Amino acid sequence: MPDDEDAKLAEKPRAGVVTCPACDLHVSVAEPNDAVELYRRHANVTGHDVEWERVAFDAEAESDDAKEALIELGEDHPDGVALGRLAAALADNGVAIGETLDAVRDLRMSGEIYEPQDDYVLAV
Amino acid sequence: MTRWNNNRDEIGAVSADITAETNALPAKYFTDPEVHEMEKEKVFGQYWVYAGHATHIPDAGDYFTRTIGGKQIIVTRDDDGDVRAFYNVCAHRGSKMLDDTPMTDPGSLSRITCPYHLWAYELDGSLQSTPKSFEEASLNPDLDDDAVSELDPEENGLMEVNTDAIGPLVFVNFEDEPSLSLAEQAGSMKTELEDLPLGEYEHARRYVSEVECNWKTFSGNYSECDHCQANHQDWVRGLELMDSELEVNDYHWVLHYKHKEDVDDEMRIHPEHEAKFYYFWPNFTVNMYGTADGYGTYIIDPIDEGRFQLIADYYFRDADLSEEEEKFVQTSRQLQEEDFELVERQYEGLKSGALGQAQLGPNEHTVHKLHRLAQDAYNA
Repeated sequence: MPDDEDAKLAEKPRAGVVTCPACDLHVSVAEPNDAVELYRRHANVTGHDVEWERVAFDAEAESDDAKEALIELGEDHPDGVALGRLAAALADNGVAIGETLDAVRDLRMSGEIYEPQDDYVLAV
Repeated sequence: MTRWNNNRDEIGAVSADITAETNALPAKYFTDPEVHEMEKEKVFGQYWVYAGHATHIPDAGDYFTRTIGGKQIIVTRDDDGDVRAFYNVCAHRGSKMLDDTPMTDPGSLSRITCPYHLWAYELDGSLQSTPKSFEEASLNPDLDDDAVSELDPEENGLMEVNTDAIGPLVFVNFEDEPSLSLAEQAGSMKTELEDLPLGEYEHARRYVSEVECNWKTFSGNYSECDHCQANHQDWVRGLELMDSELEVNDYHWVLHYKHKEDVDDEMRIHPEHEAKFYYFWPNFTVNMYGTADGYGTYIIDPIDEGRFQLIADYYFRDADLSEEEEKFVQTSRQLQEEDFELVERQYEGLKSGALGQAQLGPNEHTVHKLHRLAQDAYNA
């Protein structure tokens, strides 16, 4: 990304930058879940997954397993972990946002997690 | 005189006369969330809007989905080979039926089945079958099976959306009875494009970008070239801008860009020795390149009042691009990025609320047309 764009992004409070390498897309997002919305919009017209390129909020988990990472993050976010935050925690292990959402869906469908509010999840 | 937001109430409707001072759409029509909601019906619900390219769905049952003005549709090819569009909504209880499926990665099915209660529809939209539980009342002690009426396949089919095409370019119209035919809305663009072998070219690339400005801000930028000299220096170096022309028609305009160095006819899909960029109201462009044997399309797709997706598709003789064609696409992407910076900058200014109404120059007559059409749509 060009330096002047870096400077532009730094001017505003942002959650980070999301990228689609195939489209050379780099979008700064204000909230963690904006990354999820962007993924949905982008996949809708391209089929491409997108990744966190830069994360500017706390999203650290030791595990690369979606459920274990969710349990870790849930300790600090008892009202629900934003899907975008979970995706950011798994991004260090090369997991793209779409893959995280697929894993979350599998966990929901097996009753292992629940969604206390739209696009926020917690382990059962 | 510039019309600032200074409580002097000097903002007016877009004059039909481009030399009038109120010749542009007032700024609020770019920044107001209510205008975005209004446009879903008044713009994207009233006119013919590009849905996709028919070459991606060559066989019966091939399909892709699109969302236009908040309406989700399925575009498919029926058993007679006709392209048809339906709301992606089940006639039973309104469930969304098919998952989002981009044109560039189309799906295929023999019938459209709703996953909720398994109502199934033929490719012409008629109801093909329902499970037994809709034919008898075995779980309802107060109703005899005889009292259950049979569901008429036509009366209980999918809601169809009007479709028509210009060559392989498929358009939809959400009005029950469109006030304009596609031929009327497209005018000479239809005949000009139908003379070209658009369907013989292969889809090579799709790049989708998200840009932080109103969709009309980008549309206006695309439509004029007063900004080119200062902002697209690499590109204009090869152009004879003074010999170029911006032609305005009822619902489309054509940017004719002459190149300094002519190229062989085989290097272009169209006969004219120029690049021809068509803007088709409301949000579609066809870019006939002057120096590459291919063409491109843009969909300028609003997300909300302050963001849009640019869906850029590139078509060449062969989807496996030569080095030169790769470079051409890269130049096109460079132009897009240069324009994104410009329109995001313009939009930041517009959002500040200082300017009440812009003023257009004499060579921004294409932008004037865009603003007039927007105003006409809002007032319809």
